[in-house]
Amino acid sequence: MQSYKLPHFPVCVHAALYTNVSDSDSLRKRLIAASTAEGLDGERERDAVNFSFIEARLITSVNHLRTAVYQAVLAEAQGALRTKTVHSEIIWALNPTNNISEAMRRYGVSDASTSLVVVRVAGPELSPEVIERDMDATVKGTKASFTELQDLTDWAAVKKYHKLGSDVAVREAKGDLERERIVVDDIVVSSVAMKSVMG
Amino acid sequence: MPGRVRETPLKNPDRPYLAIGLEGSANKFGAGVIKHFVDGSTAVLSNVRHTYITPPGEGFQPRFTALHHREWALKIINDCLAEVGVSMHDVDCICYTKGPGMGAPLQSVALVARTLSLLFDKPLVGVNHCVGHIEMGREITGAQNPVVLYVSGGNTQVIAYSRQCYRIFGETLDIAIGNCLDRFARVINLSNDPAPGYNIEQEAKKGKRLLPIPYTTKGMDVSFSGILTSVEGYTFDKRFRADGQPQNPNDEDIITPADLCFSLQETIYAMLVEITERAMAHIGSKEVLIVGGVGSNLRLQEMMGIMAEERGGKVFAMDERYCIDNGIMIAHAGLLSFRMGFDTPLLKSTCTQRFRTDEVHISWRA
Amino acid sequence: MTSPSLTLISTSTLISQGAEAKVYKAHLTADPSDAPILLKHRFRKGYRHPTLDGSITRTRVAGEARALLKCLRSGVNVPGVRMVDASEGILGIEWIDGQSVRKLLPGGAGEDDEEQEEDDQIDLLQEYDISVEILMQLIGQEIAKMHLADVIHGDLTTSNMMLRHPSTFKSCHATLRTELVLIDFGLSYHSSLVEDKAVDLYVLERAFTSTHPDAEPLFASAMQAYEQRMGKEWAAIGRRLDDVRLRGRKRSMVG
Repeated sequence: MQSYKLPHFPVCVHAALYTNVSDSDSLRKRLIAASTAEGLDGERERDAVNFSFIEARLITSVNHLRTAVYQAVLAEAQGALRTKTVHSEIIWALNPTNNISEAMRRYGVSDASTSLVVVRVAGPELSPEVIERDMDATVKGTKASFTELQDLTDWAAVKKYHKLGSDVAVREAKGDLERERIVVDDIVVSSVAMKSVMG
Repeated sequence: MPGRVRETPLKNPDRPYLAIGLEGSANKFGAGVIKHFVDGSTAVLSNVRHTYITPPGEGFQPRFTALHHREWALKIINDCLAEVGVSMHDVDCICYTKGPGMGAPLQSVALVARTLSLLFDKPLVGVNHCVGHIEMGREITGAQNPVVLYVSGGNTQVIAYSRQCYRIFGETLDIAIGNCLDRFARVINLSNDPAPGYNIEQEAKKGKRLLPIPYTTKGMDVSFSGILTSVEGYTFDKRFRADGQPQNPNDEDIITPADLCFSLQETIYAMLVEITERAMAHIGSKEVLIVGGVGSNLRLQEMMGIMAEERGGKVFAMDERYCIDNGIMIAHAGLLSFRMGFDTPLLKSTCTQRFRTDEVHISWRA
Repeated sequence: MTSPSLTLISTSTLISQGAEAKVYKAHLTADPSDAPILLKHRFRKGYRHPTLDGSITRTRVAGEARALLKCLRSGVNVPGVRMVDASEGILGIEWIDGQSVRKLLPGGAGEDDEEQEEDDQIDLLQEYDISVEILMQLIGQEIAKMHLADVIHGDLTTSNMMLRHPSTFKSCHATLRTELVLIDFGLSYHSSLVEDKAVDLYVLERAFTSTHPDAEPLFASAMQAYEQRMGKEWAAIGRRLDDVRLRGRKRSMVG
């Protein structure tokens, strides 16, 4: 798990990559149930799954992930969240359109998800150890290093969702796989960073 | 630019010089007498002007403006000379506006200048109207090397001096700011007395509501025609109340002429201040000089002052005597070039509607 | 309470101040492995009505970000967008390690120490493993790509072009070890008009000849590369450029 501070906000960000995830269907059901559960149990359950569960194959780089996290934390600090929590906001920020349910369907956990990025935006008082323990308890999978992220990326899906197929930049990089990935990542990161002004 | 200080080519005169200036490029006819002393100082001896004022809703047509100038020229010139007890025989040169401006009025003034030149055997000096504004502004305010914002009924330019030339850094791409104000004053039927822009300024003080109007700067250039269309459009809005009054106590969401004046001023003056600031940053100057009729607007001066202060600089502005077209500025700029050995032979004493500020060789500056 | 973005600014290093914006080098996270970014802060203008100021600033931040994305998608080398806080007037973009093209060409470093300066230029060109000729071609190509995307830069000068430092250039197949990056899209806008493209070129031509009078013949090779890249669109732009050269950028003035 990676932990880093956003020094201009009262928060610390914790993120981990899980591969070979085997329980994504039950995880998804658990998230839905938690969101509507009532009473003290509901609170406790929401607390236990208080993470952002992100489809890892749509993340092109650590920078991509961190850019979405930053814009979500900024929106929360400004009282400008478009979704319920900073964690769902991260997922919203990743999706190129303004459609919230589409964002959750594509960039959130789905029954078919086999690798997940799990993010927790927390106050600095929470220790990384506790957060990592909670993450491990929620996701059944192999914890992996973020250096593996690029190999998990489904570039065809990324290009499709961001409608990059017809872009000159991407067409020109054809044949040079490394170059194409750099180009796609750059466009995707920029799109996430500026989503608030795409209007 | 800061750095090397070159010696000014203009030497102090060996005797006092006297010049009369005649201006009539638009709806004002003005005459003024200036004196340049041997110690390099200058004095405005007289500055007389008469404005051709049209009824509300009407602009000034070239033909009638020329008629006005012909009618008033001799009286104004006589008043101007009588005021200081100077005779035409005493002046060293007769300076007149060569351009830019409206053709017919320019011609009638040039004609007066030529006649006086022949009658009294005095040399003529044709002067660029814009250069007249700039030189008078520098003289009155003492600004050394300012960025000049020249704003009037016919011109909107941001100017800076470089290598014996007033370079235009930015300007309007369509109509002049004063033209935009004048035409809007006609739309809401404001009086042209003393000036439409003045009445818009007074009206704007009562405005409360800032309405969205296009903000059209393009680098250091601006454009106003779209703004005029947009603000005119509000007068057809359902919420517009021409008398400025709500129709009933519940009539709250209304747009008044005052709101439009306020919104127009806030928008176009912000644009002007912005391009001026850009030019200041570009050439590294901390001084701004505002010249031209619109330059007498206090809100524009105030905004420019805030900008200059934020940059640690200073704004130089003038009151209507020198901002608005006048004869003295033509006399002053003309005398400067006359002292550098320049005059306009009779055969070349034409006038021209198009005469760019940057076409003039500023021989008297380093 | 001050906003997080203003706190971010207050802890960043000021690089330069223009009329409209201040530019900073900043770090979004406390993780030292994260690359720095460049922050462009369109600070509040006291002379402007606050409502007007806010809407102009928001529009410009959004406009600049959109122009950059349009360029990225069209294969024009520009800095990527990294963060946007339109309500505070802040745009964060990729930090480009490299050298301003102005400093790589004769006359660009200013008037002092001319001899020394020429040596520096040769050293720099060697460091970037590029000839002036190729550099000029890159300039023409990049501008052509931008114009093909209907983006008008609005302020093309050699100060607004950078060569990316070879150590940060990430492509192993390319024959060059650097790339030309167009920067500062603060005055850019979208247009497909021949006139706007011609004026864009004219502005560069003027800036080039005044900043690098000795390198003027080189400019022709930039134009040649532009021409080639523009293909059949060139004819109309070239004709209009001739017109613009004749009349100057500015219209003739009526009093």
